Amino acid sequence: MRRIICLGFLIIINFTLQSTIFGFHDINCITPNLLLILTMSFGLMRGRKEGLLVGFFCGFMVDCFISGIMGPFMLLYMLIGYVNGFFHKNYMIEDVLLPLIVIIIDDIVFNFLVYIIYFLLHRRLELSDYFLNIMLPEALITSLLTVIIYKFYVLVNRYLKEKDRGKEAK
Amino acid sequence: MRYDRKKDISPKYLLLALTIICVILMIVSFFAGEKVAFIKKYTNSIITPIQQGINKIGVWTDSKLENLKEIEELNCENDKLEKEIDGYKEQITIYQNKLAELEELRALYELDESYPEYNKTAAHVFAKDSTSWFSIFYIDKGTNDGMFVGANVMCHDGLAGIIIECYDDYSKVRAVIDDNSNISAKIMPSNALCTIEGNLNTYQNGVLVVKNIDKDAKITVGDKVVTSHISERFHQGLTVGYIAEITYDTNNLTITATITPAVDFNNISDVLIITDKKTEVD
Repeated sequence: MRRIICLGFLIIINFTLQSTIFGFHDINCITPNLLLILTMSFGLMRGRKEGLLVGFFCGFMVDCFISGIMGPFMLLYMLIGYVNGFFHKNYMIEDVLLPLIVIIIDDIVFNFLVYIIYFLLHRRLELSDYFLNIMLPEALITSLLTVIIYKFYVLVNRYLKEKDRGKEAK
Repeated sequence: MRYDRKKDISPKYLLLALTIICVILMIVSFFAGEKVAFIKKYTNSIITPIQQGINKIGVWTDSKLENLKEIEELNCENDKLEKEIDGYKEQITIYQNKLAELEELRALYELDESYPEYNKTAAHVFAKDSTSWFSIFYIDKGTNDGMFVGANVMCHDGLAGIIIECYDDYSKVRAVIDDNSNISAKIMPSNALCTIEGNLNTYQNGVLVVKNIDKDAKITVGDKVVTSHISERFHQGLTVGYIAEITYDTNNLTITATITPAVDFNNISDVLIITDKKTEVD
């Protein structure tokens, strides 16, 4: 229960930050994908199931807020969370390289799929321009933030785990 | 792994179930958007107050930081400007005389009709879309303040966008630079009709694309592009931008031009919304 509340809180905070602070005064700018970091972190630390659920609700927020129809972002975040869960086997607390590599791949895959759904099918063919101007900067800034935020999530996860364990011991 | 307990569901089945939910939601919202609109409404009503709060904190800190930085600059500038003002005062009187003359002449030609005055209300922008791909922003006025879907949103003197979704206390605005935006417009002195397409890719270079201009139209760089009278959703005569570049299409029938938008989309915090409906004006 504590975990659910904590995760819900994190999702809401991340979403509001992503939509306000990083686009402050600027309608059209590169926004780091904080929700993707959240999905990736919990997928990696807790396995497929939690990655899946966190991704689902992150996508739900994005869908409610920007996309005209409900669903596409939900599916996207969810799948990414699920796939990241497979790396749970290789997860180690001190390891920073794995989440970094995973988030870069995640972000590029995520943006590439968004490009295909919303732009390529909309007759915007200049992939190289979109790649250089949007996907690459976003992947960079997201991965930079990952280094900082991931550590925080590790701490949160450790705290939650200890509480869970404490409860079971009782 | 911790799925061995009996009450846990296998992630595979969970994935399947949630995927089905997503697909159903997509289909339902695609064919009957109103049926799922309530989900958006309730979720957003939780999120928007938080966003507005964070935005206020952002504006506050931003203004404080700016203040500190600007005090020194402003002192220097103030001295310089005071000297300039004396010069301008003289010019103002000259212009005032000219303005009076202009107004007289306009009255004579009845030109005022082509620049109708619209009723406007101001609103704050409090959030933008959370990806790098779209140009959508949220304003803090909704149906309770007389907003409606299709209301034109202005910023400074230019057209900024159009309201595409309207809720009780906030509305969603699609900027003219968004990839899905398409506006019927005309180029000012020559009255040539055209369509303005938002394009994320060209906006990276600071321009929008104007298509379908007749090849015989006499247009030059710097011409003003305004919304046209034939547009169903936009009021006529709102400035969108100024022509930056003209190229002839390969079909030799139309011209494509690029325009610099009149609104600075990198710095939008307050906007004006036209509260008149298009049909009522006509």
